[in-house]
Amino acid sequence: MSCGSVTQEILLSCLAVSLPVYFKNQCWESDWVLRCKCAPSRGADWGVKCFPGKIIVAFYNLLLQRRIFGDFSSFFFINRLYEVLESVFEVLWLTCVFTVAFSFFPPKPPSLAFPWFGMDIGGTLVKLVYFEPKDITAEEEQEEVENLKSIRKYLTSNTAYGKTGIRDVHLELKNLTMCGRKGNLHFIRFPSCAMHRFIQMGSEKNFSSLHTTLCATGGGAYKFEEDFRTIADLQLHKLDELDCLIQGLLYVDSVGFNGQPECYYFENPTNPEQCQKKPYCLDNPYPMLLVNIGSGVSILAVYSKDNYKRVTGSSLGGGTFLGLCCLLTGCETFEEALEMAAKGDSTNVDKLVKDIYGGDYERFGLQGSAVASSFGHMMSKEKRDSISKEDLARATLVTITNNIGSIARMCALNENIDKVVFVGNFLRINMISMKVLAYAMDYWSKGQLKALFLEHEGYFGAVGALLELLKMTDDQ
Amino acid sequence: MEPLRNGGGAEDKAWRRGADAGPPRRWSGGGGGGGGAAGADSSAAAGPSGRQRRDSVRKNRPLFPWFGLDIGGTLVKLVYFEPKDITAEEEKEEVENLKSIRKYLTSNVAYGSTGIRDVHLELKDLTLCGRKGNLHFIRFPTHDMPAFIQMGSEKHFSSLHTTLCATGGGAYKFEQDFRTMGDLQLRKLDELDCLIKGVLYIDSVGFNGHSECYYFENPTDAERCQKLPFTLENPYPLLLVNIGSGVSILAVYSKENYKRVTGTSLGGGTFFGLCCLLTGCSTFEEALEMASHGDSTKVDKLVRDIYGGDYERFGLPGWAVASSFGNMMSKEKRESVSKEDLAKATLITITNNIGSIARMCALNENINRVVFVGNFLRINTISMRLLAYALDYWSKGQLKALFLEHEGYFGAVGALLELLDSA
Repeated sequence: MSCGSVTQEILLSCLAVSLPVYFKNQCWESDWVLRCKCAPSRGADWGVKCFPGKIIVAFYNLLLQRRIFGDFSSFFFINRLYEVLESVFEVLWLTCVFTVAFSFFPPKPPSLAFPWFGMDIGGTLVKLVYFEPKDITAEEEQEEVENLKSIRKYLTSNTAYGKTGIRDVHLELKNLTMCGRKGNLHFIRFPSCAMHRFIQMGSEKNFSSLHTTLCATGGGAYKFEEDFRTIADLQLHKLDELDCLIQGLLYVDSVGFNGQPECYYFENPTNPEQCQKKPYCLDNPYPMLLVNIGSGVSILAVYSKDNYKRVTGSSLGGGTFLGLCCLLTGCETFEEALEMAAKGDSTNVDKLVKDIYGGDYERFGLQGSAVASSFGHMMSKEKRDSISKEDLARATLVTITNNIGSIARMCALNENIDKVVFVGNFLRINMISMKVLAYAMDYWSKGQLKALFLEHEGYFGAVGALLELLKMTDDQ
Repeated sequence: MEPLRNGGGAEDKAWRRGADAGPPRRWSGGGGGGGGAAGADSSAAAGPSGRQRRDSVRKNRPLFPWFGLDIGGTLVKLVYFEPKDITAEEEKEEVENLKSIRKYLTSNVAYGSTGIRDVHLELKDLTLCGRKGNLHFIRFPTHDMPAFIQMGSEKHFSSLHTTLCATGGGAYKFEQDFRTMGDLQLRKLDELDCLIKGVLYIDSVGFNGHSECYYFENPTDAERCQKLPFTLENPYPLLLVNIGSGVSILAVYSKENYKRVTGTSLGGGTFFGLCCLLTGCSTFEEALEMASHGDSTKVDKLVRDIYGGDYERFGLPGWAVASSFGNMMSKEKRESVSKEDLAKATLITITNNIGSIARMCALNENINRVVFVGNFLRINTISMRLLAYALDYWSKGQLKALFLEHEGYFGAVGALLELLDSA
């Protein structure tokens, strides 16, 4: 109930309560019917003093006058009318009393059971957001079930889980208010291939006994649904990944990043000395092109909070980069791959325009330094023998990044959108790609397009899933 | 474009008007002397006195040999017009090295260790610039360009005083070398101009009576897949996707009006380079051979690997690739795939990416015919069929993928035409 109209309600309630009381007490004596066993004579006022009573009398007289009913039946008609009115007023009075009461003392809604999770089970990584309530009263703590407490402690006192789970502490959102509770939002990730281990853990910790709903999005929500049910006795609430992505993004941007802006861009991306990360205000985000670079790529045109379309996608995404890197360089992790790429030189691997033209291809505005054919030098044995693993890693990174940038640029052009937001865990700790994208967007569009980035990169789907969980309660 | 016959009236050339009173004719320039009237093409109309015509027209027909050169990032494409209507007189006057060039080119199918003449592509009985002959298609790696220039120098090619029309990046890159090493002045032409000219010309003359242009019906059905001819009579508008080392996508609205829509650096060179790295192969043919035996689904992460089935909300079937090479981040999977699987995955990835970009361009330019050319498609039926299928499937039948028999030679043909045009 909104507090604004409480005063109005009080006044109305008082009026509604007092009317029937007044009417009841003032207008009719309880023995009026007894007194008037016989129809009163026409024109009598029956000793009625109050205004509503006078109206009824006048109405009775009118009926008699008009001969609508006979004397006696008019009398009984009036009597019935009174009884009906009395009941109506009783009901009205009770309703008002209760309404007033509830507006001051609203009944407690069925509270959403903790723990509050949002899960995004992607092709490569599982993203988990966990809301840690910080406003737990002593009473609540006492009543708290043991395994719920242990889950909370386990998650918040560690930054690594098992061999592959990681909590991104630097992304933690502090002092957030969600669904009336104050707390911190934690961001955790682990590889999708460890999913069965995770489900097993949920089963061992008797997660299902907590009777919470587990909101999950991403392909894995569908793929692992059966496993969740059979192994851990948990019912997943499946959500679409792109819906969640957008809701999550808008939410995190609106609450900000512990006082800092969530959204940023790069100024002077081509100049390593002057390249700066600058905040960007996403207050008027629409329309925007959202490029989600996970294992694969999805490109969405977002026109408003609830209106978006998936423009296209590409199968050359983060998974391609990591997969190819592992094959070409023998690395095993994303971090390793990026480290190698940072030290390599892709121009030894790629065939540039100047390698074919001897300079620029002026006719179509292609600079000599532009890549004409990725990995184009690698058909020559000599060149293959002369490059390093780092060069290969770099070339793979640049190739995938440029391809995505090129496709994004085409989409932006065709959808007539000038803001391109890149998200997804391909960009995690991947400054090279972010700068390449920033540069490419700016250069090839001659400054028309702007590449934007968000701090929480790949977690928006999971946040969206959590929001959906909280929304479910609101609707109850 | 009309074969360059008597004048081809649409073209407005000053020299023609000035030449003579009658219908203009083109006569052979020849190495040593002009052919007589009888030796000229039989479809000629009558004109004024032979000598006057001969002299005046000789100026207007380039000297033999007639070459068109397209120096690309990976391959050099050479088209050579072999005149078959050489009169005895002409032959006598012919300079020695011109004759040896002709004999060398036409009696071999391989040159040095890497040069190849695609005999199956030879266009027979073509009439070009008033001469009848065959058009030969030769290619060799750009890597051997210096050797080629050296050869030209040794054979005193420069003494023939012909213009060498060249297109492609190498025309700019090797211009200096041609001049210093071979004493040859290249006439540089834009590769995309030549490409379009060449495509239109070859399609108009046809392929020895057959259709140059074709498409695939039932591309994914190994048994029922058929290659069917397609008439490109009203070609415009057309989306032309040239897949060489890299890719250029052009929207062609008319003979003279086209624009380069976009390009991508993931082209034939990428496929070849990655294959060499991943499988240890060393030629394009080897790479394709391996790919034909591989299974890319072991290497790629499909939608069903992520969703357990289709991603229905956005119409993505379970068999669609969600992440190319996506399975390769797992050590187990890396150890379980073969070189053939990797080659196939590389081919599929590059092909699908090109198809996807082409589809987007076609959609945005509002064009429903997409013609794929370039030597990436040479002997590459897998890619052609995949492009045909992908375009059809993702556009729900709106787009049609078309192919041309002479794949990567159109730039060179266009350069040859420029040579004849400008004479």
